[in-house]
Amino acid sequence: MTRFWSIAFSAFAVAFFALLLGIFVVQSIPAWQHSGMGYVTGSRWFFRTHQFGALPMIYGTIVVSGVALLLAAPVGLASAIFTAEYLPRKARLAVKVLIELLAGIPSVIYGLLGILLLRNWIYDLFARFDISSGDTLLTAAVLLAVMILPTVVTLSDDALRGVPGAQRHAARSLGLTRAETICTVSLRQSARGLVSALLLGLGRAIGETIAVFLVVGRQDNNLPERWLSLRPLLESGQTLTTKLGGAEANIAYGDPLHWAAMMGLGLLLLAIVIVTTIGGVWKKVGHDA
Amino acid sequence: MRILKSSSIKSLATCLASLAAATFADAGTLKINGSTTVNLPVAEAAENLRAEKKMDIQVDTQGGSSGGISMLGEGLVQLGMASKHVSADDRAKFPKVTFNEIHIGEDAVALIVAKDVWDGGVHELTKQQVRDIYEGRVTNWKDVGGKAQKIVFLNKEPGRGTWEVFAHWAYGDPKKAPQVSLPEVGGNEETRNKVGSTRGAISQLSSAWADEKKVFALGIKGDDGMAVLPTNENIASHAYPMSRPLFVLTDGEPKGDARVLVDYLLSPAGQALVRKHGYLSLDQLAKPAAGN
Amino acid sequence: MRRLLDRLLFATCGATALLVCALLIGVVFVIAQRGAPAMSWTFLTEQIRQVGAQGGIFFNLVGTVILITTALVVCTPVAIGLALLERVYVRSERWRRSLGVFLYTLNGLPSIVFGIFGFIVFVKWLGWGKSWLSGGILLGMMILPTVTVALIERMKALPSRYVQAAAALGLKQSQIIWSVILPQTRSGLLTGSLLGMARAAGETAPIMFTATIFAGATQPHGVKESPVLSLPYHIFILAQDSFDPAVGAKLWGAALVLLALVLLLSGIALPGRLKMHEEANV
Repeated sequence: MTRFWSIAFSAFAVAFFALLLGIFVVQSIPAWQHSGMGYVTGSRWFFRTHQFGALPMIYGTIVVSGVALLLAAPVGLASAIFTAEYLPRKARLAVKVLIELLAGIPSVIYGLLGILLLRNWIYDLFARFDISSGDTLLTAAVLLAVMILPTVVTLSDDALRGVPGAQRHAARSLGLTRAETICTVSLRQSARGLVSALLLGLGRAIGETIAVFLVVGRQDNNLPERWLSLRPLLESGQTLTTKLGGAEANIAYGDPLHWAAMMGLGLLLLAIVIVTTIGGVWKKVGHDA
Repeated sequence: MRILKSSSIKSLATCLASLAAATFADAGTLKINGSTTVNLPVAEAAENLRAEKKMDIQVDTQGGSSGGISMLGEGLVQLGMASKHVSADDRAKFPKVTFNEIHIGEDAVALIVAKDVWDGGVHELTKQQVRDIYEGRVTNWKDVGGKAQKIVFLNKEPGRGTWEVFAHWAYGDPKKAPQVSLPEVGGNEETRNKVGSTRGAISQLSSAWADEKKVFALGIKGDDGMAVLPTNENIASHAYPMSRPLFVLTDGEPKGDARVLVDYLLSPAGQALVRKHGYLSLDQLAKPAAGN
Repeated sequence: MRRLLDRLLFATCGATALLVCALLIGVVFVIAQRGAPAMSWTFLTEQIRQVGAQGGIFFNLVGTVILITTALVVCTPVAIGLALLERVYVRSERWRRSLGVFLYTLNGLPSIVFGIFGFIVFVKWLGWGKSWLSGGILLGMMILPTVTVALIERMKALPSRYVQAAAALGLKQSQIIWSVILPQTRSGLLTGSLLGMARAAGETAPIMFTATIFAGATQPHGVKESPVLSLPYHIFILAQDSFDPAVGAKLWGAALVLLALVLLLSGIALPGRLKMHEEANV
């Protein structure tokens, strides 16, 4: 009986998520038929004229989460090194617990802080760069960086602690300083776990909606001419998540093609997140089964 | 403890199930959705009715005016709120529903600007200038009489009544409005907040929200060169072009609880609420001249 | 030279860790500072008036509690099922790994995706309109990985001799589960549940299309067309749509209450969490 119910409930979970994925795939088909590859590569999204190009939003998502990771990674890693390598056990647990508590701060609260504090700071900070407003890709990226910091710190700390103490002792007894031990032993051995921590943090950043929605400006079709230009960071933009959480989602249901296009965005988002997360997890799960 | 847990879970589940089964038919709730602009007096009216008559009223603002129309069309609410007319397209989309527009007040959409723009000397714009700015042909305030400052146009979200009124005035028909890619703002508070804190900003906003401290409402300069500010008199007499009606919408004639709310809104108490939130009540509107 | 680098690394990492803690504590502090003026008994026990400018957030709190409790009820049996599957029933390593990957992937799915999924299935297909149950189910599935992983970790830490002893006494597999494994891993379920509820309490995107409205709901009656109010949605809307400067303090007050709720739930889970960390390092 127990076995039956366990399998039944597990099957329910799997079915739920299969349905979730399936709905996005099936309902977005009209959009793929309409625009073909242009859906992903097209750079104009004008829903009234049924032009659906998602590239600016993919770009927005990548830039916002990428920069967030770029900001959070060194800070998070350094903090994790401190907690894992330098702190005595009790202090480490205390700090870890504190950081994990703070990882639970709801995104709407970060959004609030973003809209009322961060965007003004960025606006003032970059005033001489001819910045139009405080709602920029950079603002969203900074906010996200703070949001994923706890995740990165905790997981990196776990990864570093996974390196057996014996190896550290061996290095120290050979005369290496603490710093050298860390660099040659801990970091190298835990590299996989660290990468996984970063990827999981990235996954979280990619999927965040509410906080980004309030500060990113929600401007469509803002693709730079040169790909690696830094200018878009100081301009408003749109990401996959903000489009889905915004006004268009409310009005799109009546128009089958528009709705299909929105679902297509959801599908793209799912694809990106799933790939990132699986990338981050594959090695990790193999590691500590 | 283990026994406690499993049986308490079971009893919770039973409770939920019986709750679900027992009270399926709850026809007493009046559901309302729509424009955030109309929401202000309606929400307060709902509060008063809840307190006085123990009515069960739910109010939401999902999707703005368009959300109100579509939810009424789909039968998800009994009362919609809209700050624009129900278009022929909307009626066609929901053929089974007879959209009944009940006028409860009047508001105006203003082009509001940040303090630095107002102080820089820009107090009014012509329609053509607005179009030029909206479409990106004019990008600096100095080209329209202000100080040198980049123009930052924050566009209202699509679907908002405010935007449609703007598009209707500027282009004659929202569908004819050119597709532009501008930063977006959603509700009234967000708009005012962002315009007020961004140099050179301009956006569309209900004129009742221009507080003359952080954000200022521009006048519209007509062909005769006369600038019309969105004052109550100008809105009432329709001298100001971007006035818009505030509607509650029902399917056919309002019945039951919806009727009670509508009657309340049209009563002196309800109209006082309309005025309280900065809009014009029906008695303040001039009698429409022929061919209005 | 080497010693210099050693000191440098120590200093840098220490400073960074301090920065991180300060940053996060700063976040809490700002909210506490701005929300404190709004705090009062009436704030917590009255309902919203005047589109958030007056009154309190009682029913928002009630709604959030209803949502997270439902989420827990929905999630628990599924979490137990999955955990048992992973720990007891599945023998092959490959399947275990796949299950692990499945759970982690679930955990990373964006909340907006759940929201849209719920909109299609519950609001449109099932015709429930906005319902607390839709929100509860969606949130329950969102926190499923959190609860499941906590339970699995606790099960992993269970000394195998308990199970072996039971088997030696002749108990069947299902008996072992119900009299040894589940009772002994209660704390894992509790910890996971608390963490899950903390997360569910703060989510806006899954419930904004499916379960919550801004004003007017008190308690749900029935399943269909029974939305609830909620704290995160309230904050989200007020951040964009409030009408009065007076709302300002109330907005922060609501944020403070939400934060306090989340921290309280996570805080209660602390002892369990600490234990999990200790065991993970053994």
